[in-house]
Parts: sequence; structure tokens; C-alpha cells
Amino acid sequence: MLKIQNLNFKFNEKVIFDNAELEIPKGKISIIMGANGAGKSTLLKIITNNIKADCSIINEFKETFYLPQNPYYPYGVSVFDYVSSVFYKKNWKWFLSKAEESKVNEALKMVELFNQKDMEIQKLSAGEFQKANFALGLLSGADLFLLDEPLSNMDLINQIKTLENLTNLVKSGVTSVLIMHDINIAANFGDYFIGINKDHKIVSGSKEEFFKPQNLNDIYNIDFRIMNDDDKIFVQIVD
Amino acid sequence: MGNLKKGQVLIFLILISVFILSVCLSLFFRLPNNVDDIKIILMLIRLPAILKAIVAGASLAVAGMFLQTISKNPLADPYLVGLSSGAGLGISLSILLFNSVNYSLFGFFGALISAVLVIALSGFSKFSITKLILIGLSFNLFVSSLIACLILINPTKSYAMTLILTGGFNSADISNRLLLLLFVIVMIICALFIPKLNVLRLDTGLAFKTGKEADRISIIFIILASLLTSLSVFSAGILGFVGIICPVFSRLLFGADCRVLFFANILCGSTLLLVSNFLSNNLLFPVQIPLGVVVSIVGVPFFVYFLLKKGGIFKGNF
Repeated sequence: MLKIQNLNFKFNEKVIFDNAELEIPKGKISIIMGANGAGKSTLLKIITNNIKADCSIINEFKETFYLPQNPYYPYGVSVFDYVSSVFYKKNWKWFLSKAEESKVNEALKMVELFNQKDMEIQKLSAGEFQKANFALGLLSGADLFLLDEPLSNMDLINQIKTLENLTNLVKSGVTSVLIMHDINIAANFGDYFIGINKDHKIVSGSKEEFFKPQNLNDIYNIDFRIMNDDDKIFVQIVD
Repeated sequence: MGNLKKGQVLIFLILISVFILSVCLSLFFRLPNNVDDIKIILMLIRLPAILKAIVAGASLAVAGMFLQTISKNPLADPYLVGLSSGAGLGISLSILLFNSVNYSLFGFFGALISAVLVIALSGFSKFSITKLILIGLSFNLFVSSLIACLILINPTKSYAMTLILTGGFNSADISNRLLLLLFVIVMIICALFIPKLNVLRLDTGLAFKTGKEADRISIIFIILASLLTSLSVFSAGILGFVGIICPVFSRLLFGADCRVLFFANILCGSTLLLVSNFLSNNLLFPVQIPLGVVVSIVGVPFFVYFLLKKGGIFKGNF
């Protein structure tokens, strides 16, 4: 569990968060939603300590893995090399040990990228590249994944495939927080929802608690209609 | 590392043989018949020149590789950090003020001081690689203008200054043992850090927890690059170009694994300088062509040829 309290943050004199509060439950997919410039990425950067903000953070996760929006990738690096880079960060050695090699292979199998492990990273599709990044996160030993719009630039099928991958990762014990914009896909895959509304407050809750017309209106300033079909929730814009 | 293709192994072997060939040629080409003369020429002139060529070439190439990898930009080169002009100013001052033959010592300290200055300046507010390169570039221009002024107002010594500023191995003023020792020490430190360079190829936000952590590792590599460049100034004066083409050339031929590229750059850089040195001494014998001139004449056609042939990898990210 991760808890942020009394979060106050200003950027260029503009209030982004005003005494906001946030809790990220363990072992779930949490989805952050909000208008452009609301402070979604800032929120992730505050959690990763990349931005200093006035708040108190209680963090029970051991290791955080942060995936920025549209990460840079070098040309001419094989998937295996790309993913195994993470092992050279802390050690002083030149080669991977056998155990580490098999760990890399396992991670690649888990994200279904094992067959492409000798392929160069720039030849992967956007969805496959995101899978390689998930493998990197798995190898970093992180139990909290913070993903900044991992679905940007992806077609519908790749978005769903990526989210299914993420669901599998969460089943293996990872907690993940992601920023995304498509409300319906979010409602389909998310367990817990965090919205940043126009009063610079954070509203959060489970699917049923969060998807209420008033809540969404506070976030996007648009009227929505929510439809329940069994367990599923559909959101529609009202003119 | 173990997945070098057959073609790449072949290129490695070719490079090694060119390296050995150029060492042999530089040593034994056009020797006099007298045994005593041979000894003197080999020990006092040719061996030191070869040592300096290897040290300068390898250091510049590896320094260039460091800077290009951390800035993720194939245009970065050791002199962008302001080193060349810093060294140039040191050398010019030494000639002007002390009539000194010890100019490479001054060049060494000039380079080191300017590196420290540029790194400090770019770290004052928030550090970023782009800022470092821009500050290095402006520093370079500023100091080059100072040097131009110095040359203009001292017409009697302007020839000596211009000659040294183009680079060469004829400065026999550093003990070769010391140079070799320094070179080996710096290279061992570099070798320790090389695998970390593989991490720096990744997106910094992705690979490191905070921006500060990434900056800290980048600065280590910048300091190493400065040390290497200073060593090259120490042994060969100011030589542009090696630090930018060798890393790009190795990248074209050997892919992006920094562990492979480390050796490729050592080989490429030293071979380029050995060949150039040999040609500069023998092409228009007995006239000696300045080393920097030959480096460009030898290097550019090669470089452009391979860029045209294999430059496809530069369509996207570096």
C-alpha cells in the first residue's frame, strides 16, 4: 500500500494539488484519469521522488518501476540485451551469470517475447516494445509499476493485449498504477480508480464508487451517462 | 556480447591485422643500415611515437563513445566539452609566457581545468547533458577567440603556436613510462564502468529511479572522458575528428553493445592515428605533413563511404 497525505503542489504559481490525498491499494490495477495538465504525470513523479512536493508519503512497496511516456530506445540493441541491461546497473561485472540469464529468459517468456529475443528493439511493434519494458520492470524486482500512458500510440488490439499482459503481471503479485484516457477500456480492466478533478482534489474508489456521472463531470467538465450491464460498466458522453 | 555475427568477427580480425601492419610499418619502414642508428631511431623516435599514437587514438575514440552514448547523440565529441580550446589556451600560454617546450603538460592541465569549469557551469542550476554540450560549445568558441587574439598580437611566435595547435607526436617531453602508466590506469577504470554504459543507452527515466541518479553516472563518464582527452592532448596535442568518427564508425560496424564497442574504439582510434602518422611522415618524405591534416584526409573518405553504405541505423534514435 502507498499513501500520500496533505499533498500541496504548485507549478509556476498554478495550483496543481490542494491538500489532496491518495491511496494505492496493493495487488491491484489502479488507473489515474484526468484532463490534460491536471497533474497525472506529476503525481507519478511525486511518488517516484523525481519531484519534491509538500506531502507525507507512506510507502510499503519495496521497489518502484517507473515507465515514462514514450520511452527512448536505442537502435541496434537486441531485445535480450535491452532487457538484461538492468542487471548491469548495480553490479560491476561484464557478463551475466547463468542464473541471471535464465531469469531474463523467464521474464521474456512471461511477457511472450521469448521468440523475438534476438530481434533488434526498433523492429518491434509498439505493443511488443511495451512488453519488453514490462519484462525490464519484472527483472528490476519492482513490486510497484508506475506506467505513464503505456497505451499511447497503440491500436485497440494492442491496447487490450497490453492490458491483458498487465493483468497477468498483477496476478503474479505486482501492483500497478497507470495513466490512461479511454474511460471504457479503463472501466473494463481497472480495479481501482483515481481521478484528479477541477478543484485540484483527488477522487478515488472502486469501480462502483468511482463511475458516477457527478464524479466524472468533476474531472472532465463533460456530462456522462453510466450504464451498468451485469458486472460491466459503460460510459457515454451526453450532448 | 557473445552474439557477434561472423561478418563482425571478420571486420575485427581485419582491423587487428591493419593495426599490426601499421605498427610494423611505422617501426621498420625506411630504416638506415647502421645498427647503432637503428637502435637510437627505434628507441628514441619510433617507439615513443607509436605509443603516443595508440594512447591518443584510443583515448579520443573511447571518450567520444562515452559522450555520444550518454548524450544519445552521434554529434557529441570530446572537444565539445570545451577540452580542445582549453588545451589550446594552455599550450599558447606556455609558449608565450615560458618559452616552454613542456607545452603538452600545459595542454593537459588546460584541458582538465576547462572540463572542470564546463561541468561545474552546467551543474550550477539543474544539470542536463544538452546544457553541458551547449555550454561546452560556447566555451570552445570563447576560448578559441582568445587564442586567435593571442596569435594575432604575438606575430613572432604565431608560427610555433599554429603548428602545435594542429597536433603531432613530436613533443618528447613526457616520460613514456608515465604516459603508459596513466593510460593503463584510466583504461582499467573505464573498463570497470563500461557495462554501466549499456544501462545508459536506455531511457534515463526508465532505467534510473531519479534523474539525479542518472546524472551522477553520466558525470562519472564525463569526467572519464575529460581524463582521456587530456591524456590525448598530453601525447598528441590537439587532434579533432578522431573522437567523433571512430565511435560512429564502430557503431556502424559493430552494433550498439558498449562492451564490444569499447574494444572496437580502442582498435579504430589507435589504427587511424598509426596509419595517419605513418603517412604524415612518409607520404611527402622528407616533408612532414601535419598529423591533423592527414587524419582528416585518411579518415573522411572512409567514414563517408561507410556512412553511405550502412548509415541506415541513423534513421531513428542513436
